[in-house]
Amino acid sequence: MNASTATLENLSTEAMTKSFGGVTAVDAATVTFQEGKVNGLIGPNGSGKTTFFNCVTGMIRPDSGEVRYRGQSITRKSPDRVARAGIGRSFQLCRVFPRMTVMENLLVAVRNTSIRRQLRSAHDPDELERARGWLRRVGIDHLEHAEARNLSYGQQKLLELAGVLMGEPDTIMLDEPAGGVNPALIGRIATLVRELNEEGKTFIIVEHNMEMVMSLCDHVVVFDRGRPIAEGAPEIIQQDARVLEAYLGV
Amino acid sequence: MPSVSSREPIATETVVVAPPAPVRRRSATWVRIVLIVIGAAAILSFPTIAPNPYILSAGVVILNYAVLSTGWNFMGGFTGYISLGHAAYFGLGAYGTGLLIKYLALPGFVAWIVATVLVAIVAIPIGIAALRVRGASFVIVSIAFVLIMLLVFQSWRDVTGGSEGLNVPRPFPDMLRPEHHRVFFYLFVLVLAFALATWWIIDRSKFGTALKSIREDEDKAQSLGVPTTRYKLIAYILSAFFVALGGGLYALWFGDLDPIFQFSILIGSYMVLMALLGGVRNLFGPLLGAVVVGIALEYFKLEFGDTQFHLIATGILLGVVVLFMPDGIIPAVSSLFRRKSDQASIREVTAGELLEQNEARKAAGSAPQRKADAETEETSS
Repeated sequence: MNASTATLENLSTEAMTKSFGGVTAVDAATVTFQEGKVNGLIGPNGSGKTTFFNCVTGMIRPDSGEVRYRGQSITRKSPDRVARAGIGRSFQLCRVFPRMTVMENLLVAVRNTSIRRQLRSAHDPDELERARGWLRRVGIDHLEHAEARNLSYGQQKLLELAGVLMGEPDTIMLDEPAGGVNPALIGRIATLVRELNEEGKTFIIVEHNMEMVMSLCDHVVVFDRGRPIAEGAPEIIQQDARVLEAYLGV
Repeated sequence: MPSVSSREPIATETVVVAPPAPVRRRSATWVRIVLIVIGAAAILSFPTIAPNPYILSAGVVILNYAVLSTGWNFMGGFTGYISLGHAAYFGLGAYGTGLLIKYLALPGFVAWIVATVLVAIVAIPIGIAALRVRGASFVIVSIAFVLIMLLVFQSWRDVTGGSEGLNVPRPFPDMLRPEHHRVFFYLFVLVLAFALATWWIIDRSKFGTALKSIREDEDKAQSLGVPTTRYKLIAYILSAFFVALGGGLYALWFGDLDPIFQFSILIGSYMVLMALLGGVRNLFGPLLGAVVVGIALEYFKLEFGDTQFHLIATGILLGVVVLFMPDGIIPAVSSLFRRKSDQASIREVTAGELLEQNEARKAAGSAPQRKADAETEETSS
């Protein structure tokens, strides 16, 4: 793999800054993620990765800077508009709708806000079939009628992923997909990411599990103190002195 | 590059096994239809059965509460935003109707419809402002709103008549009292049916699913593309519309408006209590709650007279509901029935069954998997 053959730009930020009181969580970060790749975003705890995610997806308003998606500015757009532009995301501590069934969880995703579409029955046969397809894909189709809160944590993670996929995003941002799940499930999630990537979906993954990041990602960006300090192919990143310093403090 | 997929998932984490489909669904549908028919028949025959005009007028009051509570449930039930100040829309609908008759000399029922539409328009800026906050803050904003309305309508004597009240001319001046009650009873039934039908359409729609996802987790819903700000506002306006519709009809029926009653937090609290009691997730929850609370209120008032004791009794009722039936009567009763039947909602499985299921799933899952692999190979070559 060669990082220099940088292809199309997927998501990028320019001098994006966000501070909370006196703490600058994201500090003039200029980052570019590549289209069609599995991009990794790593960094020590508190380096601003999740804040970066939240700024990009509109959950938090950046104080300054630009966010562009496929050449168009999405700076300060509301999260739902970012989602409908084709960026799906998962949350760090896995968020599903606890008192809705697994199927209902999948039917939430909105791509088309036209009134006619919105007043149609939620249990539209085509939509149900599409939802079952994704449930089968992540392996929880047998739980279709269960309430989401009765699922195990791992199953909820899979459900969240299926819910995001239901919106048919072109770009999927995952915040710690391997956090708190057993090794077998990490394997399943990694396989899914690879398959979906082969089908043309771009991934941006925040992850602490280095084994997963190194084996899965094509391109890795390393964050420290709110800004990127290195980027490149995983093999190169592993040897980077600045990265080792940020992680080990040597 | 080391492959993570070499660690093939071991299919051992199936913890919960839900039934493939609710087996008793068809019979449950029949039970529901029969209950609805019985309920509708009971309501429609009430004016004929009612022994005296007083009981009939109590029926009108209860139906009015049912309309208000169902209207409140467009907001409270779908999105989980608890408004304690919805009496504001009850009062605005009532006063709007009365004032349009008084100053523009509109016919009663025309004034009612015009006033309701006007209130729905007024609800737009109020909704935009109030829905900027969530949770407890929204509750407080809603209370502030009804209190402001109370002050305005009390102090603006020249127009509203202040505490002296506003007299609303009857739409049927020649009609005798019992007949008048009967006509309005059926008018309230019509409005209630309209509100219930609208709620039902939304409940089963994609829009309704989006609203319910806001109730569960608003940020998450937004991240899935739900335009939460717009959808909440639509629910809020619909809610205001139906509560105002109930208020306007009340004005035409009762004929006398007083700000202290029209804009009271108590009326708003009743709407919430009734909806919670019956079950906010159910179409008929607020109606059932209105019947129970409405009868209880009338009974307490008869029993304890004009004291404030009925308030204490209502408070105790609310406490009991929250403690023992947090989801309301309808879910509590239906889960009681479900427990009686041998089919649990999520059944436990033995290790043997689990193994069998996993085997079966593997067999079923591997076939399409292989097909998918073949497809990706084709496209890549």
